[in-house]
Amino acid sequence: MDTKSHVLEQIASNLYKGEDDVVATLVQQSLDQGMAPAKILNGGLIAGMDEVGKDFKAGDLFVPEVLIAARAMHAGMNILRPLLAEGDVPSAGKYLIGTVQGDLHDIGKNLVKMMLEGAGFETIDLGTDVKPDAFVAAVREHQPQLIGMSALLTTTMPGMKATIEGLEEAGLRDTVKIMVGGAPVTAAFAEQIGADAYAPDAATAVDVARNLMGV
Amino acid sequence: MTEQIPIETLHPTIRMLSDEQIEAIHHASLDILSRTGIVMKNEVGRELLVDAGAWESEGRIKIPPHLVMDAIASASPRIPMFNRLGELTMPLEAGKVFFGPGSDCPFTIDSGTGQRRKATAEDVRRIAQLCDSLAQIDFTMSMGTPSDVPPLDHYLHSFISMIRGSVKPNVYTANNREDMEDIYRIACAVAGGQDELREKPFMLHYAEPISPLLYNDESVDKLLFCAEKGIPVTYPPSPNTGGGGPITLAGALALGNAESLVGLVLTQLVRPGTPFLYGMNTAALDMKSAIVSYGSPEWPLGMAACTDIARYYDLPVWGTAGATDSKVVDAQAGIEAAISIMSAFLTRCNLVHDVGYIEYGTTSSMEMLVVADEIIREVRYIMGGVEISERTLAREAIHRAKPGGGFLADDHTLDNWKWAQWRPELIDRMRYDRWVEKGRKDIATRANERARQILAEHQVPPLPEAAEEVIAEVLKEREDSAKRTT
Repeated sequence: MDTKSHVLEQIASNLYKGEDDVVATLVQQSLDQGMAPAKILNGGLIAGMDEVGKDFKAGDLFVPEVLIAARAMHAGMNILRPLLAEGDVPSAGKYLIGTVQGDLHDIGKNLVKMMLEGAGFETIDLGTDVKPDAFVAAVREHQPQLIGMSALLTTTMPGMKATIEGLEEAGLRDTVKIMVGGAPVTAAFAEQIGADAYAPDAATAVDVARNLMGV
Repeated sequence: MTEQIPIETLHPTIRMLSDEQIEAIHHASLDILSRTGIVMKNEVGRELLVDAGAWESEGRIKIPPHLVMDAIASASPRIPMFNRLGELTMPLEAGKVFFGPGSDCPFTIDSGTGQRRKATAEDVRRIAQLCDSLAQIDFTMSMGTPSDVPPLDHYLHSFISMIRGSVKPNVYTANNREDMEDIYRIACAVAGGQDELREKPFMLHYAEPISPLLYNDESVDKLLFCAEKGIPVTYPPSPNTGGGGPITLAGALALGNAESLVGLVLTQLVRPGTPFLYGMNTAALDMKSAIVSYGSPEWPLGMAACTDIARYYDLPVWGTAGATDSKVVDAQAGIEAAISIMSAFLTRCNLVHDVGYIEYGTTSSMEMLVVADEIIREVRYIMGGVEISERTLAREAIHRAKPGGGFLADDHTLDNWKWAQWRPELIDRMRYDRWVEKGRKDIATRANERARQILAEHQVPPLPEAAEEVIAEVLKEREDSAKRTT
């Protein structure tokens, strides 16, 4: 028991440091020793990523350090994924994300996506310049619990309101929680257009998403 | 494939004077020395000059050009300075730039109360401790005139406080030869002997003539003491424009150059090769308040010119930056410090003092020192230039990037971010909400917190026991002699 938890701690701490090769080796070793894939995922990879998220939010880590840790998590996941049974992966929630119509800005949205994935969310990325209809169609298809909309331009912010109206018309508004963000977006604007929440940055977005999920 | 030679990175520099301009100043200075002459109040200094070929006329000593040229030829182009642990940390030589505070401010800003009050010997030690910790500060100066010790002993106490507070090399001031001797005794005990101190000097003396053209007895005496003992010394005049110097910077430079060169001549006459740091202070005398302006653009302009002249003579050079006329650490302080520090770096002035002065040098500020430390670090980053190489051109990363998708998560970013971007330590880039959450602190507040944290945590290796014993002896002797005279 002690050695097992020791290995999991090593996986978590190496993931934190972004040592992708070491993480992959340790994950393989744990499997070889007969540890359950779900246990390695929860006790090692996700535990490590939680620490990363916590320290990023506290301002102790830089964005690339989070991304390097995420890269290490992927290295571990690539080994585990084929071995995980349905239901083994404890998804924190299904999250649909996109930059709204007329806006081609991708970078901030991608960062939020990566942070959410690191926190165990399953994400569906619609990309940029996503029309309200496309959001509605994707909600119908994927049935996410959460939607995140991003805008960098004041001129594209109305796209958020149009998307919410589209969901209302389609009768899907109550099936999802809606988050908005991006440089010109404010908490007041989020409230005004009927979104459920606003996140000022990528680290906060994870917390906000967890709150909306009731975690 | 033949391994190709890397593309060299250009590190930006500025020149303020052309060769023709430098020579015009040089000739004007030689004319000042040989035709106008100086007033020398120190008898030994007068004899040295006259015996070497200077002459007296109309109450002035007039110095012929060959004396000056001989002195320039015999002086060392570099002064290797050590810390008090014997490590070479500050080689004052072409291309290198070192920063540190200034000396002798009557007031300080109390880091606990924020109030301006008289400085104490403990303030000098604490500021030295702060300088010891700040990575961009290379040497210490007293930053305070201790008000809590007998007036005649305050330089001695400043020196003791500085070496207790920091291992870094120091630039010290003194009242007279007696101070110089006592400080020398202590320094020898720190270094382990006279030879050790000469071989690995950790202190450089600062004395100055009075502009224009007056060489007072005690300042020359201190200068000569340094030459006798082989202590590195600087002797910068202050031909501040409109005050100690002509209102025009060119005149101030010609005068200041002449005055500084006299210091050089004196040291080289006593002992050729005496380590002499050339330079001058070229502040503006403000035409409204009549203060000597430490934030004036004339100073960095003059410093750059002076550094060009020093390069012409192949001498190490003294300068000034990181000081302000503002009474608080505000935007003005930031402007004046940033412009002067940038200038110092661009000119490659070797030893740059007065970092952390506020209120035109009347008050010391720990917060200003901490802010300047950040400015120096940022300016140094700019001096690094732009590396052009395969790893920095990022061809592969550009090739694989999704248009509009950005490079944030690209491996090239993740592999190179640590060195490829400068990262602030004190400067704030927080998102607004977080800044509010963290207490809406401005840079002065954050600098104060950092200074206090350093004072609470930073450990400085103690002086050797033998040095503390000599300090106790010297202080006892001072006390006894004070009793005798009262």
